[in-house]
Amino acid sequence: MNLKKTLLTTLAAGALTAGIFGCGGEEEKSQATVKVGLLHSLTGPMAISEKAVRDAEVLAIEQINAAGGVLGKKIIFVEEDGASEPATFATKAEKLVDIEKVATVFGCWTSSSRKAVKPIFEEYKSLLWYPVQYEGMEASPNIVYTGAAPNQQIVPAIEYLIEKGYKKFFLLGSDYVFPRTANMIINAQAKAAGISVVGEEYADMDQTDFAAIISKIEVAKPDVIVNTLNGTGNVSFFKQMSEKNYTSKEYMTMSFSIAEEEVSTIGPSILKGHLVSWNYYQTTKTPENDVFVAAYKAKFGSNRVTSDPAEAAYDAVYLWAEAVKKAGSFAVDSVLSVIRSGSVEFTAPEGKVVIDGKNQHLSKPVRIGEVAEDGLIHEVFATPAPVSPDPYLTTYDWAVKAGLQPLN
Amino acid sequence: MEQAVNILFNGLSLSSIILLTSLGLAITFGVMRVINMAHGEFVMIGAYTTYVVQQVFTQFLPSAIGSLYYFVSIFAAFGVAFLLGSLLEKFVISRLYGREIDSLLATWGISLILQQAARSIFGTQGVNVNAPSFLSGGISFGDCTFSYNRVFIILLVSLCMVAVWFVMYKSNFGRQMRAVMQNRPMAQCMGINSRRVDNLTFAMGSGFAGVAGCSVALLGSIDSTVGQSYIVNSFMAVVLGGVGNLIGTVIGSGIIGISSIFTENYTSSTIAKAVVLLIVIVFLQKRPQGLFVIKSRNLD
Amino acid sequence: MRLLNLFLKHGSDTTFGIIVFILAIMPVLLAAGVLNGGSTILFLGKCISFAIVAIGIDLIWGYTGILSLGHGLYFGLGGYAMAMYLKLQATGGQITDFMHIGGLTELPLIWKPFLHAPGSLFLILIIPGLTAWLVGYFIFKNRVKGVYFSIISQALTWAACSIFIAMSPYTNGNVGITEIKSIFGSIKGSANQGNMFTLFYISLFALVLIYAISRFLVTRKFGKVLIAIRDGENRTYFSGYPVSRFKTFIYVVSAVFAGIAGAIFVNFNGCITPSQMTITYSIGMVIWVAIGGRGTIVGAVIGAFFINICEYNLSSGSTVEIWQYIIGILFCVTILFFKGGIVGLVQEKAPNFIAKIRDRKVKA
Repeated sequence: MNLKKTLLTTLAAGALTAGIFGCGGEEEKSQATVKVGLLHSLTGPMAISEKAVRDAEVLAIEQINAAGGVLGKKIIFVEEDGASEPATFATKAEKLVDIEKVATVFGCWTSSSRKAVKPIFEEYKSLLWYPVQYEGMEASPNIVYTGAAPNQQIVPAIEYLIEKGYKKFFLLGSDYVFPRTANMIINAQAKAAGISVVGEEYADMDQTDFAAIISKIEVAKPDVIVNTLNGTGNVSFFKQMSEKNYTSKEYMTMSFSIAEEEVSTIGPSILKGHLVSWNYYQTTKTPENDVFVAAYKAKFGSNRVTSDPAEAAYDAVYLWAEAVKKAGSFAVDSVLSVIRSGSVEFTAPEGKVVIDGKNQHLSKPVRIGEVAEDGLIHEVFATPAPVSPDPYLTTYDWAVKAGLQPLN
Repeated sequence: MEQAVNILFNGLSLSSIILLTSLGLAITFGVMRVINMAHGEFVMIGAYTTYVVQQVFTQFLPSAIGSLYYFVSIFAAFGVAFLLGSLLEKFVISRLYGREIDSLLATWGISLILQQAARSIFGTQGVNVNAPSFLSGGISFGDCTFSYNRVFIILLVSLCMVAVWFVMYKSNFGRQMRAVMQNRPMAQCMGINSRRVDNLTFAMGSGFAGVAGCSVALLGSIDSTVGQSYIVNSFMAVVLGGVGNLIGTVIGSGIIGISSIFTENYTSSTIAKAVVLLIVIVFLQKRPQGLFVIKSRNLD
Repeated sequence: MRLLNLFLKHGSDTTFGIIVFILAIMPVLLAAGVLNGGSTILFLGKCISFAIVAIGIDLIWGYTGILSLGHGLYFGLGGYAMAMYLKLQATGGQITDFMHIGGLTELPLIWKPFLHAPGSLFLILIIPGLTAWLVGYFIFKNRVKGVYFSIISQALTWAACSIFIAMSPYTNGNVGITEIKSIFGSIKGSANQGNMFTLFYISLFALVLIYAISRFLVTRKFGKVLIAIRDGENRTYFSGYPVSRFKTFIYVVSAVFAGIAGAIFVNFNGCITPSQMTITYSIGMVIWVAIGGRGTIVGAVIGAFFINICEYNLSSGSTVEIWQYIIGILFCVTILFFKGGIVGLVQEKAPNFIAKIRDRKVKA
């Protein structure tokens, strides 16, 4: 008993010292390195999605290092766990920019985490690379958005549906800012095109039973479901649709948050024939993509798939390195001024992407895809040229008329 | 009419899922007074076991018997969760009898560890289980479709209920178990090995959580946080029904399941969740011990 | 030597004094350039708010035996009240973006009271207090206790969290209220160090005040009644004490503390989201108290600081994959083997240890 107690006391004391002095931080302060931060949820419900993005960032950093680094310096990264909790994201972002003094941060997935850290990057005059498609209506001078703005994902997808003759939309989303804003946009767009929206439903974020929602869909009889569910909700929804033998023939869906990762967790046989809208698929045919997919699989296992957010995160690291090279310095001010000149570009797996100097989003190609039996998504439509970002949708008459733009 | 039938069936099927996840709790919490916050993680273990069994079947066995994996996985899930439950009882819970609140906090730590273990073993991303072919599709009456899967879950939960009822009220072990729970010193005096009874009871409760995981695997995502989505409703069902009473748990799950489907039909799901919880809270004000109370002269 | 004696006699007050002293010199260290980065102060500020809510939980759990798994609710209510005031300061009393997206054209009625500072500060105390009184009055009058209370409090938080998510035109749903500055303006960066120090010392003062109030409560006869309720509720009833009134009172006090903590937290954190109201967050608060040592007030403070500093340092860098194991094992081990938490361990070991040192001194 005494021995046990001593042992436990030692253990507790060990944890205590580890806690107070921190055994985390890398202490290599050599001249030949530059430190960047990775801020993603590695625990909690969002870890399911964010791990892939984090992996893509690590891959890009290693590739750049293998090619000699940036400005002759190797990149080292400090990783922080946001734990799927916006307040933790805020604390950790502050730690990265103020204590670790990183050159830049790649991170976040949910809009709530981005909104929580946005003032921090603005007030500390630091730089965040946000790699996920989102609802728009934002353009922080201290964030570069490498995912799609609404006019690079939602708007073209709805245009595609209208062109294909779909007339009755059912809007289904998680009870969350992205689906709510997306549906506001879609409602305005549908109204302008004379399309009827026969239903709008929001599922709780951790909803597991979709029976009631499915009955509402059955009553509304739409010909397409515009799906903005996030995360685990998608899995439950599609599994429970397929329970009733509903396939893409009965109810076509157009999803904005289902990429290759999600297809593999829902099951390709269930999702076969459904539509999605992104800027990149694993099947995208560019020489850069072949290299990217091969490298990703070689590093993380052949059963892993690449996806749009992972690719956007990969681009983010390269774009930062490119901007640093152009600026000739790691200082945020000079990097930002290069970015704002609109000359930072990268031949990404999805094709050439350029950072728009005005709103710091990327101009990128839009691709509508269809899920196939093999679990991959195949392109069925692509815009002929990259679409320039328009986060506030100011170039669309229907959006201006509907007053979608935020105040001030 | 159709809508009413639909609501009723959906409600029934949601109730059956809640009942399946709370059946184990009704045993561990209801009978043993251990608040197992890691109960949800045993559901997760069941779901992951289903995935592993399916992987084994698709890799090593001919595809003709592929669908049978599901039956195997039900037993496998029960077995794995039973074993882990037994271990948990032996090393953690057994030190905390009579300290209800402490058992809650310690099992909360366990649930953190189990979630991280799932991430370490199976990766952060979720995994997928394909529904066996005999469970896809459904019977249609007019415009209502009753999917086989939901019908199967209702059958499964009835079967589990019968099993629990048999073990608790008809078997020798059940008699010992009830004796220990009602009057521990006296039962010990009668020569019952109370440690063994505790261990098996807790393991059995965990085993049923594993079975629940098996059904949950077909309905939604399988990832490290799956258990968290079920745990609160399960606790509410047990408390509403009256702790220590199986029939109470059945009715508690029924009330929660049907009322949440009913409310959701007229409002949104987020509102429905809040409304149902508030109804239960208000109801418990009237009957603080739940619907069915075991009468006793004990004060504390 | 004198310090040792002081420690023996007034152990918890001395320890608390030391903690406050360390916190108080932190800004000085920062200004002197010893400390790297002002955000350490901001983080410690958040920890102060956590310590305050932990004291509240210790009052109801450690002393009275009421385990609330839903104190995130009151923390959140206080936080939202503060955040609504700060948001209106940021927008100049105009409607916010999320209200615009939600289709509102003018400031909703529930936001109006938060236009002015005195009203808002008053509401920060009143809203959690009143809610707690309503909840407590019925629950304790109906003699719901023990585990039943815990589960109800959990459900209550969950319901409240859902309502805040569902009412997104009014509360901004899951995103919560963001992009706000502290009550003294911006506190981030070296240019705003003055504001940060003011806020930090005011929060520290709040912590000292709340500690003093709690010590005052528990060292009087009132505190003895609370302990009596914890150890034998029915006996206390039969001795003629109105148990439910005592319970309601202390529950309301603890909720008000949580509300104050939430308000302080928002100032340091710059946002409040419904995730502060979740069950996970609320159980976390109870764990702080359990680790620090329940029923000692100072234990709650120690636990809140200890666990948060651990998580802050462990959930990054090389331990990022295993920090949940470390924290989980720490919880289990503490609860299994050290029921009294850190304070309990010290209380058990310290007298012997001090006696040993004394012996050595005497011999020398």
